[in-house]
Amino acid sequence: MRLALYVTCLVDLIRPSVGMASLRLLEAAGCEVIVPESQTCCGQPAWSAGNRPLAAELAKKAISELEGYDYVVIPSGSCTDQVRNVYPQLLADDPLWAPRAQQLAARTFELTTFLVDILKVELPPADFAGSVTYHDSCKGLRGLGIKRQPRELLLKVRGLSLDEMADCEECCGFGGAFSVKFGDISTQIVDRKCESIAKVGAAAVVGGDLGCLINIEGRLRRRGDETTRVLHIAEVLAGEES
Amino acid sequence: MAGAKHSQAMFFQARAGEKIRNKVLQKALQKAKPLFVGKRAKAMAALPEDGFEFEALRSACVDIRNRVLGDLDVWLELFEEKAKATGAEVLWARDGDEICELVIDVARRHGVTKATKSKSMLSEEAHLNEALAAAGIRPVETDLGEYIIQLAGETPSHIIAPAVHKTIEEVEALFAEEHGRPLETRTSADIPAMTREAREVLRQHFLSAEMGITGANFLIAETGSAALVTNEGNGRMVTTLPRVHVVVTGIEKIVPTLDDFATLMRLLPRSATGQTISNYVSLLTGTKQPGDSDGPEKTVFILVDNGRANLLGSAYQEMLRCIRCGACMNHCPVYFSLGGHAYGWVYPGPMGSVLTPLYTGIENALDLPHASTGCNQCGTVCPVRIPLPGLMHRLREEQVERGLRPLGESFALKAWAWLAGKPRLYRWVVRRASRYLNWLADDSGRIRILGMAPGWTAGRDLSVPAGKTFHEQYAARKRA
Ligand code: SF4
Repeated sequence: MRLALYVTCLVDLIRPSVGMASLRLLEAAGCEVIVPESQTCCGQPAWSAGNRPLAAELAKKAISELEGYDYVVIPSGSCTDQVRNVYPQLLADDPLWAPRAQQLAARTFELTTFLVDILKVELPPADFAGSVTYHDSCKGLRGLGIKRQPRELLLKVRGLSLDEMADCEECCGFGGAFSVKFGDISTQIVDRKCESIAKVGAAAVVGGDLGCLINIEGRLRRRGDETTRVLHIAEVLAGEES
Repeated sequence: MAGAKHSQAMFFQARAGEKIRNKVLQKALQKAKPLFVGKRAKAMAALPEDGFEFEALRSACVDIRNRVLGDLDVWLELFEEKAKATGAEVLWARDGDEICELVIDVARRHGVTKATKSKSMLSEEAHLNEALAAAGIRPVETDLGEYIIQLAGETPSHIIAPAVHKTIEEVEALFAEEHGRPLETRTSADIPAMTREAREVLRQHFLSAEMGITGANFLIAETGSAALVTNEGNGRMVTTLPRVHVVVTGIEKIVPTLDDFATLMRLLPRSATGQTISNYVSLLTGTKQPGDSDGPEKTVFILVDNGRANLLGSAYQEMLRCIRCGACMNHCPVYFSLGGHAYGWVYPGPMGSVLTPLYTGIENALDLPHASTGCNQCGTVCPVRIPLPGLMHRLREEQVERGLRPLGESFALKAWAWLAGKPRLYRWVVRRASRYLNWLADDSGRIRILGMAPGWTAGRDLSVPAGKTFHEQYAARKRA
């Protein structure tokens, strides 16, 4: 099985380890993984700002470079949502691109969904000593129905215990440009998330979207929490984070 | 429409900071949110016990609302015919000014000096209270929450809990002053006592007002009735005691049949307050008939457009399905960080972020469609499945199409997209950016102030890795 790994811009720049971990996980699961060299940005910032032409341009670029693989896997719920749910809608009126957008959408999966629902293989078990709590990112949860998959995977990690925090489905206040434009509102929202995390007292917060994780980590540290680790699920599953 | 009057909706961002720093407001909001969310969740979880399924009920409600919007003119004509047959008068208002003119005219015709009111959002849209007062008619709000904010000289901050932003201490101070007695220290256990106090004052008004003004949750076409859904007894007082009853409501509030109304009622109170049914559900049909012991001698329906007809057949038509339950705001993280006043107009929260630009002019509420994290909690709870984030997104697109976004923002996006279209250059820039971030970081690998995103780092530290970008690492691995 030949698949393309699409690495988000945040992963590329801020936390490359998430990309490397995803790569190793997929290879360990027996896939031939290729990172298409020309990949850049899925166009989500342009789309969410309301700039349809720019978003369409970037969608076409992504479609061209991601076609021709059995699957495309993305370690991010929100970028996967962009490809699966937005591209077909964005290019719906374009007779040439609409079918290509649909075909790509059907073959594109978020990492944990791909591992659990599509591959269905046993991964080499990883180790993690301690308790974690899982933050459900909005786009993944409500756009793609990611809820059970990451938990199934986490529960197979040796030594790990999963402690659910209150309001794990509540938004962390990131929202891409929202947290930059409305920094103070976003801080108010992420503070509530930090309080839920503190209450459950886990050693680590784990999630599937780097945007949310950077936001949560940034606020935890600024509030003076130096110990709670903030990890992408790929990092935990690939096993170097114990 | 009175664009200038509502241009305050432009200053959302500026007001947000002030709301966040308001400790009293924050305390009130933190208390309210879990109540709303918890009650709704319980009510929805209990639906199967009553033999209902949420998604099926939702579909039925969506169908009813879509059926009405598909032939709105036909249903309105039928309503008018049926209402007239019961002795009511039916008037039409294009905008807020016309609402005021019509209500004042009805008041003058019937020698009205005081009007009791039970909540009508449209009278907020029209600034009716100010217009009535200017015409020498005293408006008295009788919903407890509305009464409180009328005393405080404020506007509602929530569509079903208008005084949700007020703490008990603030209300106590208001009551003490208004009711002319010394200040007491009361706790939330004393709320019944405060309610009694307000009731005693309001009783005088119920008995002396010549006119009652209400909104309507629904208008029922087949019977020409107005349906009122309330939790306080005041609705009955306002609609039955005064000689004249005026119903001011939007043209989209119509439903075809009583059966349809019953279906919508399965989700309205459950979505709003978590009740299976509200304390009072009144179906008001026509005027007092010979032999009746109560009821108004005169009933007037004022059916208002105020921007609604424009939405028919537009990309925003789905918004007209709204049944004003408030669930979207109750589940919105942004709403509960600010309260309703930050939204600058009658409708707050996600529904307001869509309605305010549509009704007051897109250019007058530029921030609102962007004031969302896109989490879609609102869309998930909306009983009539309004895709609120999708509609906000459409409004963002329209801002771009009409050149209403700041130049800096458009330029940054264009530059970004241009760069993203040139992979080799893009890689080079990301590599430079990675080194630059490393250089900015302190010993612990954190950036505490980032010039590019000052709003973000004002409240957060950005942790950056010391190593190379993913694509560098991947290329190195391939070579190895
Ligand atoms: S938009 Fe939906 S959830 Fe919000 S008030 Fe209207 S009906 Fe209720």
